[in-house]
Amino acid sequence: MTAAIRANLPVFAVIAPLFVAFVLPTFARRTRLVEGLVIFVQAVGLWGTAYLARLVLAQGGLPIIYEVGGWSAPWGIELVVGNLGAFFLLVVAGVSLPVAIYASGNLAKEVEGARRRAWFYVLYLLLGGALAGMSITNDLFNVFVLVEVATLSCCGLVSASQEPSGAEAAFNYLILATLGSGMILGGIGFLYIVTGHLNMGFAARALATVWQDYPHVVWMAISFFMVGFGVKAAFFPLHIWLPDAHSVAPSPASAVLSGLAVKGYIICLMKVLFHVVGPELMQVFSLNRLLVLLGMVAILIGSILALGQDELKRRLAFSTVAQIGYIFLGMGLLNVKGMTGALFHIASHGIIKSALFLAAGAVITQTGKERVSELAGVGKKMPITMGVFTIASLGLVGIPLFSGFVGKWYMLLGSLGAGDYLAAAVIVAGSVLCAGYLFPVIRVAYFEPAPADDWQEPGVRQRLALILLAMGIFVLGTIPGPLLELALAAATDFLVFN
Amino acid sequence: MRILLSKLLINYPYMASVVLFIIGASTVLTRSNLFKKLIGINIMESAIFLMFIAAGNTRGGAVPILDQANPGASYINPIPSALMLTGIVVSVSVTAFALALIVRLYDSYGTTNARRIAEMRNGVADR
Repeated sequence: MTAAIRANLPVFAVIAPLFVAFVLPTFARRTRLVEGLVIFVQAVGLWGTAYLARLVLAQGGLPIIYEVGGWSAPWGIELVVGNLGAFFLLVVAGVSLPVAIYASGNLAKEVEGARRRAWFYVLYLLLGGALAGMSITNDLFNVFVLVEVATLSCCGLVSASQEPSGAEAAFNYLILATLGSGMILGGIGFLYIVTGHLNMGFAARALATVWQDYPHVVWMAISFFMVGFGVKAAFFPLHIWLPDAHSVAPSPASAVLSGLAVKGYIICLMKVLFHVVGPELMQVFSLNRLLVLLGMVAILIGSILALGQDELKRRLAFSTVAQIGYIFLGMGLLNVKGMTGALFHIASHGIIKSALFLAAGAVITQTGKERVSELAGVGKKMPITMGVFTIASLGLVGIPLFSGFVGKWYMLLGSLGAGDYLAAAVIVAGSVLCAGYLFPVIRVAYFEPAPADDWQEPGVRQRLALILLAMGIFVLGTIPGPLLELALAAATDFLVFN
Repeated sequence: MRILLSKLLINYPYMASVVLFIIGASTVLTRSNLFKKLIGINIMESAIFLMFIAAGNTRGGAVPILDQANPGASYINPIPSALMLTGIVVSVSVTAFALALIVRLYDSYGTTNARRIAEMRNGVADR
């Protein structure tokens, strides 16, 4: 029994959350059972992915290849738990467990009705399963299906809040995201027409020999992928849906949407660009220049727009746009250090932004104040929540000892190594701007006199989740160890062995 | 020029799919009626389905079932058609979800015009 589970662990990582998601509605009214089951499946998932990651590390980076249904590669669907897959599985599981714990305490204040809460958890688990699938699948069409599952559950999570603006933000998100899915499907179609394969490895080998015969078709495919995944990942000029969607969603949903969902699409784009198209071809089409340039613009514009927002969750949402810019910049540098930085930033931003959104959500549900200027004295009344917010802010700015520093440091080294001093300057400037939009929140919360209102700390489960995430930020910053090893190995896979 | 034109004519399903894609995408981006946006999405997705199925087609190809009497016969590639079945299912569920959202928006704003909804929401925010 255990041997069977162990042999099929990669596929269980994907279908276990999906299966529980389909079971949940049958006992939707029993909220405690639903919450317990969700937390249980996330905890088991974390254990399983940690085991897989240890296995990959022990094998020295050799991927675990799982053939779904026993059909081998060009015909069947392959799941490949390599360095990248293990890395992102670990990030997904590590972030979604604390968010689930938090949601079990806080969701009753943000979503009314036991049945609606159960449906929220269904979407939450579907998103988790789809993200796990995206990180390990090696099949282009499978990528499309999982991207669609993730998109629909993201839109559902956005529309979970009862306010009418929630439905509006969800509709705008759905329309743009579906436009993006159409583009992705088109890109897959062009690649399939040229190469005749949907398996990424076979497509890559075929593309390397035939691209010179059809440069325009390959160019079309790449631009379709860039626009399609760009819309979904909120890459700079295509980010317009993000601030509305991420600020109106219930706070646990904002946390996973900003922290994980957006990253899932980036991981898929990375796979397509680096595994299928390959770094040499990217240079031929000067994609790397485009990524670095748009990344720099995203960092600056996103941060400046965040400075102007008074609504706390909107400010955090614009900050996500800027941090996505960092990841694309690191990808575009095309060297191992920059790529490692981008991958590590995916992990650290996932944890940090979840902590920020959860802390902001706790402040909003406990005090009813949504604007930064109204938060005077929150720090004294809610020391744990604001303490975690402060740690996460320091992490996002990139102070040493916190996780944000490691990723930004590698990206800085990468940009200096590539001789791109402008990118290095923008990375530093982005950190300063980040301090500019996060530190005023801390200043208002701690150093302004508190009003007489009786504001309480949130419940035990919310505090536990916040402390877990804060510990994660600190641990990743001081002993990044295995996660950094996986990121480094994944970056080397992307750039060297192609 | 004549060679280009004849190539375009031979590959007319692809041309049709390009035209449909442009119609769909421009409808999504320029119309403010929520239903028209949704219809634009559907047209755009149909264009991509058409492209896939055209890519799998072989002129004069048979149904892809192995015929023992005539094993060398040319047959169409079944994979794109199978993939597009999945694509159609996805597109239907997106449409259903979007229609549900439109119903909710109509209940709370009394209109299906995206621009009017944005104006009303901003009006609420200003007050």
